[in-house]
Amino acid sequence: MSTYVEARDVAAAVAAMADGARPVAGGTDLVVGARHGKAPLPESIVGIHRIPGLSEIAVTDGVVRIGALTSHAAILASAELAAATPGLLDASAIVGSHATRANGTLGGNVMNASPAMDTGAPLLCHDAVAVLTGPGGTRRVGLADLWTGPGRTSASADELMEAVELPVPPAGAGSAYVRLQYRRQMEIAVVGAGAYVELDDSGVVTVARVAISALTPVICRVPAAEEALMGRRLGTNGSISSRSDAVSAQTSPMADALQAAGQAAAEAATPISDVRASASYRTAMAAVITRRAIAAALTRATGGTVAVPASDWSQR
Amino acid sequence: MTVTEDRPGTFIRPDGKEKVTGLGRYTADIDLTGQAHAAFRFADHPHARITRIDTRAARAIPGVYAVVTHEDVPENLYGGMIQDRLLFAKDTVRWEGDVVAGVAARTQAIAREAAAAIEVEYDVLPALPDFVANAEPGAPLVHPDWSSYDGDEDMGREGNVVGHSTIVKGDADAAMATADVVVTSRFVADASQGAPIEPRAILAQWNGDRVTVWTSTQVPFAARDGVAHTLGIPQSHVRVIVPLLGGGFGSKCDFHFEAHVASLAQAAGRPVKLVFSRREEFLAPDHRREGMVLEFETGATKDGHLVARRATLHLDKGAYTGEGGFFAQMAAMHACGPYELDNVAVRAMLTYSTNQPSSSIRAPTAPQACWALEQHMDQVAGALDMDPVELRRRTLIRQGSHGPTGQVFDEIGMLDTLEAAAEMIGYGQELPDDEAIGVACGWWPSMASPSGAYVKLNGDGTGTIVTGAQECGTGAVMALPILAAEQLGMRPDDFSILYQDTDAGPWDMGASGSQTTFNNGRAVVAAAQEVRAQLLQLAAEKLEIDPADLELVDGSVRAVGAPSTSVTIADLAGTGTPLLGKGSGDLPENPPTDIPSACVGRLGLDSFLAPQLITHAARVKVDRETGVVRVLAFAAAHDSGVIVNKIGADGQVYGGVMMGIGQALSEATYFDEEGRQRNPGLLDYKLQTASDGPRIDVRWIEVDTPNAGPKGSKGVGEPPSVPTSGAIGNAIAKVVGRHVTQLPMTAERVWTTLQGQEDEQ
Repeated sequence: MSTYVEARDVAAAVAAMADGARPVAGGTDLVVGARHGKAPLPESIVGIHRIPGLSEIAVTDGVVRIGALTSHAAILASAELAAATPGLLDASAIVGSHATRANGTLGGNVMNASPAMDTGAPLLCHDAVAVLTGPGGTRRVGLADLWTGPGRTSASADELMEAVELPVPPAGAGSAYVRLQYRRQMEIAVVGAGAYVELDDSGVVTVARVAISALTPVICRVPAAEEALMGRRLGTNGSISSRSDAVSAQTSPMADALQAAGQAAAEAATPISDVRASASYRTAMAAVITRRAIAAALTRATGGTVAVPASDWSQR
Repeated sequence: MTVTEDRPGTFIRPDGKEKVTGLGRYTADIDLTGQAHAAFRFADHPHARITRIDTRAARAIPGVYAVVTHEDVPENLYGGMIQDRLLFAKDTVRWEGDVVAGVAARTQAIAREAAAAIEVEYDVLPALPDFVANAEPGAPLVHPDWSSYDGDEDMGREGNVVGHSTIVKGDADAAMATADVVVTSRFVADASQGAPIEPRAILAQWNGDRVTVWTSTQVPFAARDGVAHTLGIPQSHVRVIVPLLGGGFGSKCDFHFEAHVASLAQAAGRPVKLVFSRREEFLAPDHRREGMVLEFETGATKDGHLVARRATLHLDKGAYTGEGGFFAQMAAMHACGPYELDNVAVRAMLTYSTNQPSSSIRAPTAPQACWALEQHMDQVAGALDMDPVELRRRTLIRQGSHGPTGQVFDEIGMLDTLEAAAEMIGYGQELPDDEAIGVACGWWPSMASPSGAYVKLNGDGTGTIVTGAQECGTGAVMALPILAAEQLGMRPDDFSILYQDTDAGPWDMGASGSQTTFNNGRAVVAAAQEVRAQLLQLAAEKLEIDPADLELVDGSVRAVGAPSTSVTIADLAGTGTPLLGKGSGDLPENPPTDIPSACVGRLGLDSFLAPQLITHAARVKVDRETGVVRVLAFAAAHDSGVIVNKIGADGQVYGGVMMGIGQALSEATYFDEEGRQRNPGLLDYKLQTASDGPRIDVRWIEVDTPNAGPKGSKGVGEPPSVPTSGAIGNAIAKVVGRHVTQLPMTAERVWTTLQGQEDEQ
């Protein structure tokens, strides 16, 4: 006999989870997964969607806090996030369908720990931490330490994610997420990449973070790609094309850096072959998509416009 | 119905509102008191001998009402064109969706648990998924007893080859030697699916020795006949009712699972309901679009005259024949296409395998064969250094042309569709180097079939049409009142329609073959004409005027030239005198052919009756680094004769083009080495979404076609996805520099083709 309770606050949710209940908010992973025969619905479920205060987006003291119940649609509608974390908007804009984005939450996406999740790479690039509350109190865990494997996290079964937090980016920062997509809705990442850069006044890259999705068992940063970008200076015209042919035509140091970063992502990838793509195609696309994500982040860092989602921009 | 003001004669379909607001009731929405739920045990191996079936453990599960196997039903082989299948597998399973047993239980969960608990032991046999190899003489047989099966004797059966068709015209070998250029091509098309949004559902209830079956079928009479045949009961004891149907695209043609559920309901002694999961909707129906291997060789002269065509086509029939036995013939005609060809040698083989059976999906065989042929035609144009549209302009059939089988064409709009599509897409415009426009032409026959309808008038002067025609989403049935109203001087709004019930309407072949308006429209006109004659006679007696001097206008019968001398239809109908017509109309005959030696004709598809002619043009953008293709704009020009309802016809083109884009770029059922589906779900069987849809411009070339349907109409439903993938393929090839030879032209396949191009440079 399955049971369902609805939590009115975090403490009640944590108590139910300590008794073995699985939390559900939008249900876009849990219910859809059960219908597909991926995993049966848990015997005991606690509804957390009505807990007050968990769907707020706040910027205070240099920290962006996004409540776990924030829907992808709400992320897309947030002017604060559009300014601070455009890469996250790139991801939320292409999660599932309109219905998925209306119901699906950021917390669910992060805690589902799919290596193909769209919000993971941009959050990782933004140095986000998960705010976890359990019976013993609240702790903050970096996402690289949170995700331990496909569908697995380091959170214990009685810890509820309340929010993700990330530092407010300084001026001269930009981020982006780009996904290889065969169609525009109802798509799952076959190859995805996130990028975050900070430029100084002279256009030199002072901070670079690059992460890849769906290419490794856990979404991960690519240090070699980041090293390829560090210290590079943008060309004088400031325009960065996502296309390798256009980029290489410039033969600028930044174009070389983009190529090198893309190559580093391809080398970091350990892709599988399945019905969605062969491993060799995935590897080749890792380079292309990573390069495009970085190009979009650089463009935004210089104040240029890259419409959300950057996946569409990158295909222009 | 709502008659739109801007276009008289067009209407918005009356079932639209209930469907889009969620009020509509589909088969799965119907529940009967005391009903049980069904689940199937499918084959555990794609090819195996069954050595033992033990249902005792399943029967012992609490809540199980019945378990049915081959032992519980008559051993009646069935199949539309060859009777090669049993309801429940007895000795052998031949594909992963073969049904071994059925369970009826208190809940669906219990039914599924019990189905899994049935013990089935097998001797596993080698899977035979390679339909090309299976056509070789001496290949292991999918059906060792094939020669004992009853079936259509005109198909050319031999071993695994279910259908073998040839078109031989002139002397292709000699003519090929005279050509200035000879181009050879080879293409491979993967299987695909109808993928209706409604997974099929069936509910069966017995009353004594008669059964009523509510089912999501496109062909209620075929479903009824299948139940009667397999269960060994009279057709009068089976009533099939179709609630709202959530799409079919061909996949719900033919008799499928109605008898399985009826036999379970009989054994359980209560109503039984089956509702497929999405996964089952992919795996279980013996009905998907066939995979193909196609080889073409065409010789042409420098001035763009096609002197000879040779082609060999292999088609995957899968494990059973169903109604898809005519595919070799149809594919052979599509290997010729709507072109003037003096010398032809085409051979097509439809061959058994241990894959999911293929059967009619929207324009069966045409999209793949047309995709291959039209890319081949562009290759011929390339070899001639001639513009592909210009080559088509010189070679397409026109009035007086002789078709591949010698059919002489009457007035047709083929060339007009070419010019219209080229104009709408802006053919020849300057484009960025990652964009291009591709053009493709195709054809599809109108299907003549017997059909019937009744028209009766009610006491207040309204009418009811009782028809055997079925609705599968096209809305064609809802155009029938337009035709009846015209005969009777009434308004389309004056008519209700009773349909989708085999005990009510006369026999009709169903929502298949783009034939509802073509055949049932004729039947409704004939039935209305009987009523018209009755009305005129009654009015003549009342007004004391010769019937020849009367006309029906605005709900009245009145004297020609003296409109004030009149009587209303309501007055005539209100007397209680039955005003009742029945009709079927005269069946058009297929045009004659002049090649008695060709074997293509034996199933009657050697000529194309009232051919529907199509040109599609696509403007695409290719992402050279990823191979992802976007269709930016689309133009569709169709000769479907005179259009009865433009809103409905446009809708068929929009939907057909979207389906065609999916088949072109993303939709495929992939099998593993044993013939198991690798992507039986909507996440990895990639339909196009509304967001992927380009602007689609439609133009109708309205040729008042002789020997066709009502008002000079032809069919509409299937042609819109025929040349779509060919147009897209030709556009991609212009950007890539060579043709992608596998369908669908996925991003990875386009990218691989691009890589090959780079490697050679």
